[in-house]
Amino acid sequence: MKGYRKYFLNKLGWFLVTFVFAFILNFTLPRLMPGDPVAAIVSRLAQGMSNATGVQAIYQQYADLFGTNKPIIEQFFLYVRNVAQGNFGFSFSQYPRPVADVLASSIWWTVCLQFPAIIVGWLIGNTLGALAAYLRGGFDKVLMPISIFVSNLPQFGMAIILLVVFSITLKWFPVAGGYGFDLMPSFSWEFIWSVIKHYQLPFFSIVLIAIGGQAIGMRSMSIYELNADYVKYARFLGIKDRKIIGYVFRNVMLPQITGLALSLGTMIGGALVAEIVFSYPGLGYTLLNGISGQDYPLISASTMIVTVMVLVANFVIEILYGLIDPRIKAAQAD
Amino acid sequence: MGKVILEVRELTTKYITRFREDVYAVDHVSLKVEEGKSLGIAGESGCGKSTLALSLMGYYFPPLHYMSGDIIIDGKNISGMKPDDIRKSVLGTEIAYIPQAAMNALNPTQKVINFIEDVIRAHDNTASNKYIYEMARVSFEKLGLPADVLQKYPVELSGGMKQRTVIAISAILSPKVLIADEPSSALDVTSQKMVIKMLRNLMEDGIIKSMIFITHELPLLYNVTDDIMVMYAGQIVEKGSAKETVFDPLHPYAKGLMGSIIVPEEGLRNVKLTAIPGVPPNLKKPPSGCRFAERCKFVMPQCRAISVGIREVENGREYRCIIPEDQLREAYKNA
Amino acid sequence: MKHTLQQVFRSGKFQLGFVIFTTIILTVIIYPMIITDPPLSIIGQGTFFPPGIYVSTYDAVNSPTTYTLNLRDAAAKRIANRLSKEDRLAMQEWLLADGVPASEIDINDTGKLLALWETKYDPKAKVEGMTFARQRYFQRVNASIQGIMSTEGFTLGVKNPESGVLEETGTINQSDFVNINQVPNVRFLVLGTDNFGRDVLTELISATRVSLMIGFIAGLIATLIGLTLGLLAGYIGGLVDDIIMFVTNLFTVIPSFVLLILISFSIGQEQRGAVTVAIVIGFTSWVWTARAVRAQVVSLRNRDHVNLSKLSGHSIVHIILTDILPYIASYVVMALILQISSGILAEASLSILGLGPKTTEVPTLGLMMNWAMIYQAHVQGSWWAYFPVLLTIALITFSMNLMNTGLDQVFNPALRD
Repeated sequence: MKGYRKYFLNKLGWFLVTFVFAFILNFTLPRLMPGDPVAAIVSRLAQGMSNATGVQAIYQQYADLFGTNKPIIEQFFLYVRNVAQGNFGFSFSQYPRPVADVLASSIWWTVCLQFPAIIVGWLIGNTLGALAAYLRGGFDKVLMPISIFVSNLPQFGMAIILLVVFSITLKWFPVAGGYGFDLMPSFSWEFIWSVIKHYQLPFFSIVLIAIGGQAIGMRSMSIYELNADYVKYARFLGIKDRKIIGYVFRNVMLPQITGLALSLGTMIGGALVAEIVFSYPGLGYTLLNGISGQDYPLISASTMIVTVMVLVANFVIEILYGLIDPRIKAAQAD
Repeated sequence: MGKVILEVRELTTKYITRFREDVYAVDHVSLKVEEGKSLGIAGESGCGKSTLALSLMGYYFPPLHYMSGDIIIDGKNISGMKPDDIRKSVLGTEIAYIPQAAMNALNPTQKVINFIEDVIRAHDNTASNKYIYEMARVSFEKLGLPADVLQKYPVELSGGMKQRTVIAISAILSPKVLIADEPSSALDVTSQKMVIKMLRNLMEDGIIKSMIFITHELPLLYNVTDDIMVMYAGQIVEKGSAKETVFDPLHPYAKGLMGSIIVPEEGLRNVKLTAIPGVPPNLKKPPSGCRFAERCKFVMPQCRAISVGIREVENGREYRCIIPEDQLREAYKNA
Repeated sequence: MKHTLQQVFRSGKFQLGFVIFTTIILTVIIYPMIITDPPLSIIGQGTFFPPGIYVSTYDAVNSPTTYTLNLRDAAAKRIANRLSKEDRLAMQEWLLADGVPASEIDINDTGKLLALWETKYDPKAKVEGMTFARQRYFQRVNASIQGIMSTEGFTLGVKNPESGVLEETGTINQSDFVNINQVPNVRFLVLGTDNFGRDVLTELISATRVSLMIGFIAGLIATLIGLTLGLLAGYIGGLVDDIIMFVTNLFTVIPSFVLLILISFSIGQEQRGAVTVAIVIGFTSWVWTARAVRAQVVSLRNRDHVNLSKLSGHSIVHIILTDILPYIASYVVMALILQISSGILAEASLSILGLGPKTTEVPTLGLMMNWAMIYQAHVQGSWWAYFPVLLTIALITFSMNLMNTGLDQVFNPALRD
């Protein structure tokens, strides 16, 4: 267990370092924007507002909030303090809603949609890829071209195709949103049923793309592994093929798990764009609103949340991986 | 003459490529290995010696296919047996294999002992873990390997240690024939020596009854094995005792092979180092005449026309050339 | 080298990918030579004109020669075309109310439906349970059907500019035809128009060119950065390796699209040209190449030929150029291909988020997608505005990936089937 603790601490350390770094980037990059963001924002907000003292008050509020008139270091610590208190400021485009409030309602939509979809897609994709590598022949010949084509489709493309075919043409699923427009979020059966109906299509669009990519990766890894020297050696010692296949797939699954951790960022990025196609009320849609409304606090907070989501998911996968791969403990022990 | 442990008669196997072409990598090969003896197989890479090693196991999977011939181990012909019977009652117990790249021969996510458990259970599924551990510990220690190797993952072992572990595993069921395919070529000199010593011990202790050793390093064969067989383009071109084959090669290819290697042996030190020009023929369409004709210094028109058979000479030596042995020796002297 | 190329071209997957990709490139080059219209010029007033051949009505009427063709089914076709779905449903409703069995009414068979109507409909008949207003409605339907059935031609008139009186200049009969070759203004809009009334095909081809360019620039930048860092980290090792790998690992975990969004947003709409976007994409996507190149270089670093070169006193640059690069060249080419296609995808995603290149200069595949989405082309059924764009994106990435798989099969024989 000592080896694993070392591994765990190592990964935890990495997690914290990346977190701090991501935090700094998130703070710095938007501040490179030329001009005074607060002035630009206030002038937009104040459109149609004739009360000059009102405009002045808003300006003062933002300037205080972001500390734009203070030195950059001080601004940074102000930002750290605010974020630590869950205070991301007010949303410009949905004033006077606080950003934290806007995000709180959208983050769960994204988490509940993307993580299950990515995990399901990963599992199915790996199973299919392994089968294709093992069975070869017809199964492989049908599955592979489809997988290659599907995985080359951008995530939003898959979303649009599913939407047009199943929602607009066949009318099996609703066209947009996370629940019916005529409903208010509540714990009624009607609402839950509506949520489920709206959930399926975005879910499948993410699952399908994930299947394509994973199946291809798994297949080539498995083919490599099936030709590995230890497979040949084990065969010549009289070990049954079924047992050897067991070795192979266990060994191939391990890098696929780390692969998932590494590609999680890209997958979530694609899925956020797919959310937009379905007007799903998650982070992707919030981000789109932020961008079209030039809502800088909202964008900054959304990207921060997405980064944290990816980092945490990554960390969890690495930790689980350490438990599964026997070599980790062995290698860390010495 | 001792008891024949392994006899191979006219064994032919082929590869089927993905373009559905046949490549006859082992072409009518016959050989005999007696109890307590070892046979070395030499040749350039691609000459079919590794394929021969695989073919001798009698257990074929694509792209390698069995065509014809017999493999007789200790009087039992295994060529006609069902693959699953071969797996259960021949592999590991009658004939065992040491792969070329022992570095990757062990499953990286399995402890050595767990792999040994799988090996032994494949032949005897009643064996208890405790019994297997004891058995493995005893045989490892007998071969000079520390018992704690058993509890390790392959990544924790050094290259030489991994190779010796693989040899110990191959020998764990005391096979009658052990086939070692370049077991030492990727190792440093010290590890090489230990590997060779270990193989010798296996023979001397009677754990294995005979051995086939495959390498492209001829001096090694001269030191390790009793007999040497030289392969070229899927065929045997020369066979004889180690000493005669190294010091008095008959076939021009064998002669060339000796000439292309620096051998620190008495009597060979003054031999000029000469490479054999050209490349081996494409086995998808082997030439109808002598397969070495294109690269042979002594080639004659009839070489390309007629297929050359094996010629037997004194001391049980064999070679595949239309030129008589004294003329060959004469030619080598003048060259 | 020649042998390797031959092998590459023998791979079926590579061939297919190569053919698709070359076709796209050739189309992008040749099409603008033939159709020289500026891709962003607005030609249509209104949104989403469906694909088809557009004939100037004015020129058709004024065509120098009119031909009379007596076609047997012309009238039937004309009526079928003009009889709206609404009218058909109304007819069905009345006929059902009149007691005609539902099985006898087929609203898609115009001839039978009209015949049935002719025999059954009686404007004076009182149908049980039908309100007066409804009856009036059916009378109007009947009137419009009679209008459609009319065999009269149109009378052409021109307003006299002086008196303001309408003067008859001619008639158009139902059997009058013009030869489309004699109509001076005919425009074939293969893919219709988009939400701004621009020719989708011309726009699409220009967008493909720009997107490919973005992909190439982004891919080249990413590959160059990745290659340089990978070579330095892998070959020099030590502290340099540690630092580079630290940075690389950081950017592996921090999602690149987050950086892409932040940077693009920071640059601001006005400064974001296509090239700028390409550069930003390139600078955020080198991580994978760096990792992979480093891994390859580390395995090459201690090979005999490299050691020999070191012993011979060659400089680092010389060793990298002659002893390392050639061995990883095939790999780098494959990485470049992947980077190009993911660059094209990144641009598309950014544009959908509204962070794509500035919209006024050039179209890109992503911007076209963005416009189609904003104007709800997919909900309205205007498939020509988004589907060809999606297909182009998919074909580009698909073909590049196929070429890559082909290359991979040549360089990694284990993957061959």
